[in-house]
Amino acid sequence: MIHIEQLRLKFPGAEKRLFTDVSLSIKKGEKVLLLGPSGCGKSTLLQVMAGIIPRSIDVPMKAKALHIPKQVGYVFQDPDAQFCMPYVDEEIAFVLENLGVPRAEMKEKIERVLQRVRLRLPHVHVPIQTLSGGMKQRLAIASVLALDPDVLFLDEPTALLDEEGTKAVWETLKEVADDRTVVIVEHKIDHILDFVERIILFNECGEMIADGPTDHIFSTYRSFIAEQGIWYPEVWEMYEKPKTAQQPYHPSDVLLHVQSLRGFRQKEEKITVDDVVIRAGEWIAVTGENGAGKSTLLQSFMKLIRTEGDMYWRGELVKNDGVLYDNIAFVFQNPEFQFVTNRVDDELAYCLRLEKRSEYEIEEEVERLLRRFHLSAQRHLHPYQLSMGQKRRLSVAASVTERHRILLLDEPTFGQDAKNTFALLEWLEAYRQQGKAIVMVTHDERIVSQFATRRWIIENGKLVADETIVPRTLVRGGI
Amino acid sequence: MRWSIEHKETWLHETNPTVKLLLFLPMFIVIVFVHNPNVLINWTIGFTALFMSFSGYRMKHMLLFFVPFFFIFISTSLSMILFGKGETTWFRFGLIHVTEESFYRGVHLGFRTLLFAIFGLMFALTTKPVFLFYSLMQQAKLKPKYAYSFLAAIRLLPIMLEEFQTVHQALKVRRAAKAKGFRGKLELIKRYAIPLLSQSIRRAQRIAVAMEAKGFTNERARTFYYELTLGKYDVYLFVVICMIVAMGYYVADAFPYVPIKDVR
Repeated sequence: MIHIEQLRLKFPGAEKRLFTDVSLSIKKGEKVLLLGPSGCGKSTLLQVMAGIIPRSIDVPMKAKALHIPKQVGYVFQDPDAQFCMPYVDEEIAFVLENLGVPRAEMKEKIERVLQRVRLRLPHVHVPIQTLSGGMKQRLAIASVLALDPDVLFLDEPTALLDEEGTKAVWETLKEVADDRTVVIVEHKIDHILDFVERIILFNECGEMIADGPTDHIFSTYRSFIAEQGIWYPEVWEMYEKPKTAQQPYHPSDVLLHVQSLRGFRQKEEKITVDDVVIRAGEWIAVTGENGAGKSTLLQSFMKLIRTEGDMYWRGELVKNDGVLYDNIAFVFQNPEFQFVTNRVDDELAYCLRLEKRSEYEIEEEVERLLRRFHLSAQRHLHPYQLSMGQKRRLSVAASVTERHRILLLDEPTFGQDAKNTFALLEWLEAYRQQGKAIVMVTHDERIVSQFATRRWIIENGKLVADETIVPRTLVRGGI
Repeated sequence: MRWSIEHKETWLHETNPTVKLLLFLPMFIVIVFVHNPNVLINWTIGFTALFMSFSGYRMKHMLLFFVPFFFIFISTSLSMILFGKGETTWFRFGLIHVTEESFYRGVHLGFRTLLFAIFGLMFALTTKPVFLFYSLMQQAKLKPKYAYSFLAAIRLLPIMLEEFQTVHQALKVRRAAKAKGFRGKLELIKRYAIPLLSQSIRRAQRIAVAMEAKGFTNERARTFYYELTLGKYDVYLFVVICMIVAMGYYVADAFPYVPIKDVR
């Protein structure tokens, strides 16, 4: 089906060749997973196999032999960057138009592919913008199915989805795969291990280091896979969390007290909280379904949207939003939106300069932060040039200063690999130990059960449950 | 985020977008070469009536759309009226000099902008972008390459607006959403523009790759999901426009509101 011999490829401007003499072949009907650290070139290889390189993206490459399939379907990572039409039916029709399918047959074909991916909509003419991430990805699969491909290429199709969407997308993909050849690049591999039969493992240099049946690769290369920060099934069991995690902190005085807080979006009430307090040394996990109002809750705490109700900061009524900005830090989901300067070290110094500290003091603090967050080598770079994990670390380091007592985070581990996730969680735990409070929106049950001391459940714009989490190790110890 | 405003579909929505464009565009030019304010006033009344009766939008919304254009009407006519040149002085106070000629010229200019606004609104509110580009591909033989690029770009706009709000919040939290002085303001524009642009450029590139991956090339003959043809409504629109234009001239001649026939 696919046969590549001695592929050489180099991105213009890059120092090193990405691939030197990579050869592989994939048989018809095989389900293959390409696994390796980020930046090793898996996605590039996938694009070569799909013909996207060099047809759509012009990259100089050479291969002794290159047999690639004609009918391919490619599902991309970003749900917002693979559609060109505003409505569901129009998007699938776009594919059918490309194929020259007669108009009379389109309606039926559109309905058929939507049914295959189980995208149940009131009618086919629904704005794509109103769909959730998981639904968008299933629409992407539907439009790819309209091409009737022999090979499906999946480039981290669930990297930007929550747990629920991830599950739904993989279930759909397993159903529609049939006897088609499937080649996957993915970091979160819990859901696909029973689906893929063969794994090709790469190292940082783009060299193939192993190629074989799933079980064999996993038993032989377990420690290598763990080192690369890949989310493999037992990653949490292998992980040893800090000893302090979930241990109570003293003194746990009240920082923020919120009374009948209501947050609005365009006159519509989106979140209601009756009466809650946030205490020093707490790690509160905010959970709930997509669109329940978790992010809105955090935004209300910062008064970033219109709110009603009273907030008390350490017993005093908040009259000026400045009090909130001074004491509460907010880390957004997309780190790029928070960067305000052109250099990593300036970024770290920005908040300190606003506090009018002496340059000497600022310089020392920046040095400390660079070391603490492993960014010293990148200090001269533009924040946008950093990797995913580095951007996340920088956004946390730059948002938080000493005077902040509460840290709000909107899904900070989203799209991060296992290594970066654990590093961030450990830093947050150390931060909590300084008597700070953490309020974090998350979809990851493991984080809740391993790190949080409290859990808030949001349902339909209401805080419906506020429960203390008892660490499991304590229970097992037999109190 | 909701973008469309609730409305009914009328026969104006059923007209062919290319035909509508071909009928409206010449009107913009014609309007510039009409110098009789009476004609312009009649046309404004006629086309406003057409717009109000058949746009399918609620009166409340239509009036709201007109608010900005009303201000433009006032400001363009006033600047002409107050500071124009002319022989017959009505009023003089310092720099202000109102003459009969400048008054009529001002009013004329005001109605001209109002007419532009009506045609623009009428086109924008009764034409779906998707249909416009499908029609341009089918009737005007626009290359699909351009049509679909525009459609993809339209999809990006609401996403950009949402991102703008997020960037604004993110900067506010870091106390970076305000700046003093000219250089500060310049810096501020950069702070908003760079994340928004970099996101959009990357997204646009990804969409382009995705479109090609879905078989979008120039090589094959395309079929169309929406078939746009010419119909009786296009004839209606043509007739209605001709009638309003002709009636405007006739009424201006028979029952003039202002005594001037040429404002030049």
